[in-house]
This record gives sequence, structure tokens and C-alpha cells, in this order.
Amino acid sequence: MNTLLLLTAIILPAVVAPLVFGASRPALAVRALAPWAASPALLLALSPLGFPSIELPWVVAGVHFELDLIGRVFLIVTAALWTAAGVYASGYMDREGWRRFLFFFLLTMAGNLGLPIAGDAVSFYFFFALMTFAGYGLIVHAGDQAARRAGRVYLVLAVIGEAFLLAGLVLAVDATGSILVGAIPAGVARSPDVGAITACLMVGFAIKAGAVPLHVWLPLAHPVAPTPASAVLSGSMIKGGLLGWLRFFPLGEATLPEWGVFVVAMGIVAAFFGVVVGLVQTDAKTVLAYSSISQMGLINIGVGIALTAPDSVVPAIGAIMLYATHHGLAKGALFLGVGVAEARTRGPTSRRLILFGLGLPALAIAGAPLTSGAIAKQELKQLTPLLPDPWPHLLDWLLPLSAIATTLLMVRFLVLTQRRLTTDAGHRLVPLVWIPWAALVTAVAVLFWILPYRMPVLTSGTPHLPGPDALAAEVLPILAGVAAFVAVVRLRRRWAPAWIAPHIVPGDILAPVERALARLPRPDLVVERLASGGITGGMSGQIARRWYRIYSESARYDPLIRLELRLTRWAAGIGLLLLVTASLLFLLAWGS
Amino acid sequence: MEWTFWMAPGLLAVSFVTALLIFPLDEEQVRLRTALNLGGATLKLILVGVMAWGILTGHEFEARLSFVGELELVLRLDYLSLLFIVLSAILWFLTTVYAVGYLEQSPHRSRFFGFFSLCVTATMGIALAGNLVTFFVFYELLTVVTYPLVVHRGTGEALEGGRVYLLYTLTGGTVLLLGIAWLHSLTGPVEFVTGGQLADLAVERPATLRLIFLLIVGGLGVKAAIFPLHGWLPIAMVAPAPVSALLHAVAVVKAGAFGIVRVIFDVYGIEVADGLGLLAPLSLAAAVTILYGSVRALAQDDLKRLLAFSTVSQISYVALGVSLLGPVATAGGLVHLLHQGMMKVTLFFCAGILSETLGIHRVSEMRGVGRRMPLTMAAFTVAGFGMIGVPPVAGFISKWYLGLGALEAGQEWVVPLLALSGALNATYFLPIIGAAWFRSPEADWAEFDGPETDWMLLFPALATALLSLAAGVMAGLPFSPLWLTSFAVTEIHGP
Repeated sequence: MNTLLLLTAIILPAVVAPLVFGASRPALAVRALAPWAASPALLLALSPLGFPSIELPWVVAGVHFELDLIGRVFLIVTAALWTAAGVYASGYMDREGWRRFLFFFLLTMAGNLGLPIAGDAVSFYFFFALMTFAGYGLIVHAGDQAARRAGRVYLVLAVIGEAFLLAGLVLAVDATGSILVGAIPAGVARSPDVGAITACLMVGFAIKAGAVPLHVWLPLAHPVAPTPASAVLSGSMIKGGLLGWLRFFPLGEATLPEWGVFVVAMGIVAAFFGVVVGLVQTDAKTVLAYSSISQMGLINIGVGIALTAPDSVVPAIGAIMLYATHHGLAKGALFLGVGVAEARTRGPTSRRLILFGLGLPALAIAGAPLTSGAIAKQELKQLTPLLPDPWPHLLDWLLPLSAIATTLLMVRFLVLTQRRLTTDAGHRLVPLVWIPWAALVTAVAVLFWILPYRMPVLTSGTPHLPGPDALAAEVLPILAGVAAFVAVVRLRRRWAPAWIAPHIVPGDILAPVERALARLPRPDLVVERLASGGITGGMSGQIARRWYRIYSESARYDPLIRLELRLTRWAAGIGLLLLVTASLLFLLAWGS
Repeated sequence: MEWTFWMAPGLLAVSFVTALLIFPLDEEQVRLRTALNLGGATLKLILVGVMAWGILTGHEFEARLSFVGELELVLRLDYLSLLFIVLSAILWFLTTVYAVGYLEQSPHRSRFFGFFSLCVTATMGIALAGNLVTFFVFYELLTVVTYPLVVHRGTGEALEGGRVYLLYTLTGGTVLLLGIAWLHSLTGPVEFVTGGQLADLAVERPATLRLIFLLIVGGLGVKAAIFPLHGWLPIAMVAPAPVSALLHAVAVVKAGAFGIVRVIFDVYGIEVADGLGLLAPLSLAAAVTILYGSVRALAQDDLKRLLAFSTVSQISYVALGVSLLGPVATAGGLVHLLHQGMMKVTLFFCAGILSETLGIHRVSEMRGVGRRMPLTMAAFTVAGFGMIGVPPVAGFISKWYLGLGALEAGQEWVVPLLALSGALNATYFLPIIGAAWFRSPEADWAEFDGPETDWMLLFPALATALLSLAAGVMAGLPFSPLWLTSFAVTEIHGP
């Protein structure tokens, strides 16, 4: 029964996707129900019926679908977000282009939902590729200049990522002698190439995970995608890269302190870099995209710790999953909330409700007490002593600082969104839009209360209610952050110095990189020029051309070549044929 | 004589007789010609099916005819031949359907289809050849009978393309003949035997054998389009689409690649070839070709020319796979013979449909064409992703086994090569696919009712796209290309 549910959960979105183009009556019904295609997966993730698995040895290189603990946690977030975003999309999107959007939405969904269930490297690679390439359709959906540019940047990085991924997975599978995800970390750890494999997988997945400096596509792509797509991009698909690391890094099997510290360092850089660049953005969704970069940086500190301390890998992975769950739901709720805030609303009460619904996940991301963010940050903090010196001390300072920074960014987001809230343009707010959003906000709100009970594995203790010290530690950064924001705004009003709000275009370091690349000659055109200009053309282009010019000129004098030219004519063809026939018949007769 | 004697010659005879019957037909006898074409192709499919069943159930198919002097013409079915004849029979059937749809309005149809069938005959002969001489005879026959197809349009450009084609392939053929003759002078007639029969000679005269290998593979490398011998392939693009499809997927290019496979496994034997140090340079040449073809493809705007450079790149996967030691790499290389055939034929079918239906020849004209021709572009998309190596399309299987096989053989450098090649493929296929689906059309294409193009053009493209997909998805099932390849691999490397 559960196996059937597993199969349905994986296959349904992909099967429904091409059907949305139909015009028949059943096709219309399919299209109406298609936004719900992630619900079997949600049912599967929440069902208490154990951990089903399926093996299909005849598919591709042998497919294993399996729902293990890590997969289940990721599947809960993924399926919840896709279900909410699907329903939301059916109310939010214009009818124009809806079918095409739905098609790519479903394919991306299929890829994303498959990741937690993929039990072997090839399936994982397949689902990852499906999510990546179908996701392009979501990013460029608007079809304008910005969307196309975002799509281009996304695709370039995605292709680079896929290449690294293929190399990393081939190396990992060869080292393991098995394609099963359960076996690969140990196999990678044993391999003499553990460094190369880790590097390939790190780069391959880092692009999707938005790790600095490979994050540049994210602040372009997440905001230009239609809002429900932004929610899944930033809430759930970004976790696909993280899941890849958890599945294939030699976590718990090998000690890689250099790699671990590197990942921690890059995580810290991302955590602050994301906030700094995010603060000067003027678009609410871009701010959220930078917030995702920053939050993923914090999660990556956990990944770095897991790489450093194989003995403590269980609590480390627990903390990572907890943070991922929290961030996925909260970020999804915030993105969907942007669309809700843009809609036309009835009056001050609903506006207040919307602001409350936006504030709650924002508080959770900032790590306010009694929110999932508080548990997530606490769990992460408990792990820092596992790092070599001086990192634990450094992080004792940096983590609260990052909480202040995050608060700043969230306040900035709320201010930007509130501005939109007061404008009375846009679509009417329909239940299909606000109900899924409200459901996600509710999920974020109750996460704190259910996490210790529902997922005891993920939390080290039972951190139900914080004591006075902990409460102070959680509240102070938020107060500091709000105070800092107010101070900056005041300062700016008074003196308006330019350095307080410098202009950084979304994509930050992308622009100089693009400019530098544009200055370089295109390698393919260089080769093309060489090939047709005679250098390599000695064999292919120019000289060959010269040869056959000489050749055809000589045809005028050379009877043999004239003969060859006659081959093109009908009579010559027949003659040749007769000759060939005769010789073949002759040989046949002679031979037997 | 046993029926097993007649099967192999019969397979050749079917196409040959079809050609003989078609040549004298009038241009206007469309129905008869189409019936003959399709009848011949169908009969061939059936015969190949019987032979496939036969070899899998332990029958042996061999026909020997004495040729000149002590030389014999030998037609024999082994597992390597099986790969090639299955590929040819299926793709030929579909290409015939496509060609009928493509050319039935143009002049010289009887000539075209006659040579078309002769081309199959030659290809079948290459596939079934049991010794070097037989192989050479059919290899040269293929050169000659393909020429009229390349120059079919009769335009100046076509004639020029044809001349380049002949110049390259006849020169290659001469070099090949030189190599074969030299080898014969040393050993007498060379049968294709797994493991080869040159082990003793390799000890006595290694330098000579190396030189002969260079001559033979150099000769074959022209058709296999190994850099820098690939120059003819992009120029031969002037041929009509079905011919290009054929040239790239089944006939000419594959004949070269298949010849290299034969020489390595059945003339020299993989151990001897390795012992002589011949495989490393070959794999290096293949690697250079893989990258060079892709880099050249990047800069092309002419769709068929782009696809031609893509073939240059892709076909060298075969040479790469068979020049790495070890069963997994061999499987990856051999299975790509079939996979590349199915995917590339799809791409050429689509290119032909675009040019016939909308007059599109250039990549830059393809914006928004997905809306006008969704099924065609769907087929193109599947094949394009297959070329990149995205699962579950067939190309991924080739790449995966090549990568794992290279590591098994201790050749780590192949993995980054495959990754880079995949990225390059993506760099020229994805913009095409993206523009076709996501950009708005600039040209004013007439609205259409009903099917987007002639079904005789569309059906083969869809069929081969589905085959490419099925070959990947169901790689583990009997009768998948990978499964067929496993027999050849067992034959070569032992169980």
C-alpha cells in the first residue's frame, strides 16, 4: 500500500505534465486537479506506515526508490511547499500561459519530489537534472528581458553544475562499486580520490544551494519567476543541493577538517554577504533571495561541522535537517506572502492580518523565541564546539551577530512589502491564494511546538520553553537588529550619506564577471576563425577547398575525372549499377 | 545447403533486389516505388529479426564464397554484426518512410531510391563481413553508391560537396587498402576472430604492425570523421536530409567507426593492440575529436552543419570506448554506436522537417518554432538532451558506462573529458531548444490545421525520439541496446 503511494507520489506529476495541454473534457479535469499533484507525496511523507522502498532493476542503470529518515524530512518540506505553491498558483497565475507554466511547474515538481526518494546515484542525478532544466521554464516564464537574462545565467551555471555533478557521481560510484546512496559515503571515504570527489560534488550541488560565490543566478532568478515558483525555488529546490551533499559527502565516514573548515568559512561569508547585499535591494523578492543565500550559509556551517567531526554526524545532520525544514517552510511562506500583499484587499483588518502573517515567518527566520528558528539556531550553536580552534569562539560571536543581521534584513523586507500592501492595485485576493499561504504560515507557527515531539531524532533535547538566559539570547539580537534598522533609517533621513545605501545590482559580483568575460574572445569563434583561416584548415577547411578547386579545374583535361563527374548523371548511375550487379552475381555463382 | 548459409547473403540480396527493381521505374510510379521501398525495408526487418533470434539461440550464420585467388568473401553474423544490422534495419525502415515523404515531389526519385537501397546493401555487407577483404569491398562500395545521394540535388554546391566527399573517402580507402594489402602480405587473408591472430607477429615485427594499424585506422578514420580527417562531413551536409540522417546515424560515419571496432577487437585483438601501444594514441585522438567537434559546433548557425560537427564529436565516443581497456568501457563505446544513431537520426529528421515545412535552415530562425511545430521540437528536445547525456535518454547510458569503464581501466582523465563534452553539448543544444520553446516567433508562419507536417516526416522523427528515450529508460530490459551490446562485450572480454 505504501509502496503504491511511493510510486504514485513520484510518477504522478510527471505523468500529468504533458496532459495539461489537452483540450478534451478529461484533459480539462486533469488540468483542474494538476496543481494538487504533490499531495500524494505529502500524504506519503506524513503517513506513519514506515519506510517503503521499490527496486526497478531494469530501469536505466537500476532504480531504487526509498524513503529513509533524511528523505522523509526533506519530503515533508518539499511536498508541503509544492502543494501550497500549486494551489496558490491555480489562483494566482493568469490564464494566459497557464498551461505552459503548469507543465514546467509539474515537471520541476516531479524532479524535486523525486530527490528525497531517490535511493541511487543515477535516479538522484536524473531528478536533479529534471528539476534543473524544467526549472528554467519557471524562471523565464514572464518572457521579458529580465527573465531571459536570469534564465541565461541560471542555465550557464546549471550546466556547469551538471558537469561537475556527473564527474563527481561517476567517481563516487566507481569508488563505491555501487550506485546506492546508502553505500556511497563510505565508498567515497575509502577512495584515494576523496578530495576530488568531494570537490566535484561540492561545486555541483553548491550552485543549486546558492553557496557564495556560485549564488549569482539566485537573486536574478528567484525574484523574476512567478511568485509560486519563487516560493518553491527558494524554499524547496535550493534544498536539493543541500540534500545532495548529505547523500553523497563522506559524512560520518571520513574526517575532512580542511574541507569542513572551508565550508564553514564560506558559510559564514555567505551569511553576512547575503544580508549586506540584500539590505540595499529595493525589490522584496530580491531581498528574500539574498536572505536565502544568507540562511543557506548558516546551514552550510552545519555541513562543514559534519565534514569535520564524523563521530557527531548524527546530531549534525539532525541540525541541518531541522534548519532546512524551518527555513523551507518559512521562506516559502514569505514568498507566497509577497503575492498576497500585492493583491487588492478589503480593508485595514485584512491588511493587519496579512502583515501579521508576513511577520511571523520573518520572526522565525530571525530566530525569535518560540519559533522554529530559535530551535534551529540553538541546535546549530550546540555543534560549534566540534570545530577546531579558533572557530568555536569565533562562532560564539558570529552567530548572534548574524542573528542581528538577519533581523535587519527581515525588517527591510517587511518595510518593502508593507509599501506594496498600501497600494490598491492588482488582483483581487482569492481564497485559492490566501488559504495555502495561511496554511504555510500556520505550519511555521506550530513547527516549534510539534518539532520536539514529531521529530525527536532531529533535536538533541526537548527545548520546549527557553529559560530566562536563552530567552535573553534569542530576544536581544532581534531587538538589536530592529534598533539598528531604525537607527540607519534615521541617519539616512538626516544626512543621506551615499555609503549607507549603496546601489548593488542583483547578482552583485556577476556584473563585473560578465564584463570581464565579455572582454575575452569567444573560444569557439577563435577556433572557427582558425579552422576557416588555414591553420587547422590545412586538413579541413581552406586547403581542402583549394584542393577541390584544382581538382575540378583539372576535370576539364582529365578524362577520368570527367568520368567521375558523369556519375551524377542518370546513365552513369545505371552503368555503375549494372557493373556492380554483374560482378556480385558473378561472384555468387562462382562461389557456390 | 543449410538455411543458415543463405540468411546473410539473403539480407544483402533483399536490399540489392529492391534497388534493381526501383532503378528502371518511371518517376511517376510513386505507389509501386513506395511499395517496393517499404516492402524491402520491412522484409529486411523481418530477416534481421530472424537472424537475431537465430544467433541468440545458438545458430551460426556464415556464407563463404571464393573471391580472387585465395581470397574469400565471408559473410558471418556475430554479436558485433548484430548490433550494426539491428541498428541499420530499424533506422533504415524509418528513414525510408521519411525519405518517401521528403522527396516525393522532387525529380530523380528512382535514381535516389535505387542508390538508397544500394547504400543499405553496402552497409549490411560491412556489418556482416567476416574478413578484411569482404569488409573492404563493401566499404568501398558504400563510398561509391553514397556519392550519387550526396550530390542528389545536382546544384553546384552539391557537386562540390560530393567532390570533397569523394576526395576524402577515396583517399581514405586507398590508405586503407594499402594497410590491408600489407597485412595480407604478412599473414595471408585476415579473418575477423575475437582476439585477433596477430599475437605472434606482434612479437616479431611490432613496428610494422604499428604502421599497418596507422594506415588502416587512418583510412577508416576518414569515414569515422576523426580529427583532422573530418573535413568532408560538414561539407557533405548539402545532401538531402534523409541522406544526411543516414550518413550520420547508420551508413558512412558508422561504417568507419565499426571498422575501427573490428580492427581493434577482431584483427589485432585488444591485448595485442594495447601491447603495441596503439590504444593510448587512438583514445587521445578520439578525445581531441570529441572536444574539437563540440567547439566547432558552438559557432555554427546552419543547423545541419552544427549537427554535423556534433556528429564529429559524438562518433568519437565509440572510438574512445573501444580504445579504453575493459568490458565496461567497451560496452559504453559499442552501445553508443546504437544510441548515437537513434538520437542523431532524430535530430536530422527534425532539421529536415523544419527546412521542408517552414524553410528554416538556421539556428537563428528557430525562435518560437516550438509553438508552430510542438511534436517536431519535442522529438528534437529529447534527442538534444540525449546528446548532452541527461538521463533517462539513451546518451546518458553511453556516457555513464564510458565514465565508469574509464575509471575501471585507470584512465581518470576521461571523466573530466566527458563532463566537459556534456557541458559543450549543452552549450549548443540548450540555446536552440530554449529559443524554440520560449522565444516568440519572428517569422510569420502560416497557421495550420491538423497535423503540423506530413505524417511520413513526423512519424519517423517521433519514433526515433521514443526509441532514444526507451533505450535509456529500459536499458536493463532484454532487447535494449545495452542488452544487445552485452553479448558482444562477453564475446570480446569473456564472461
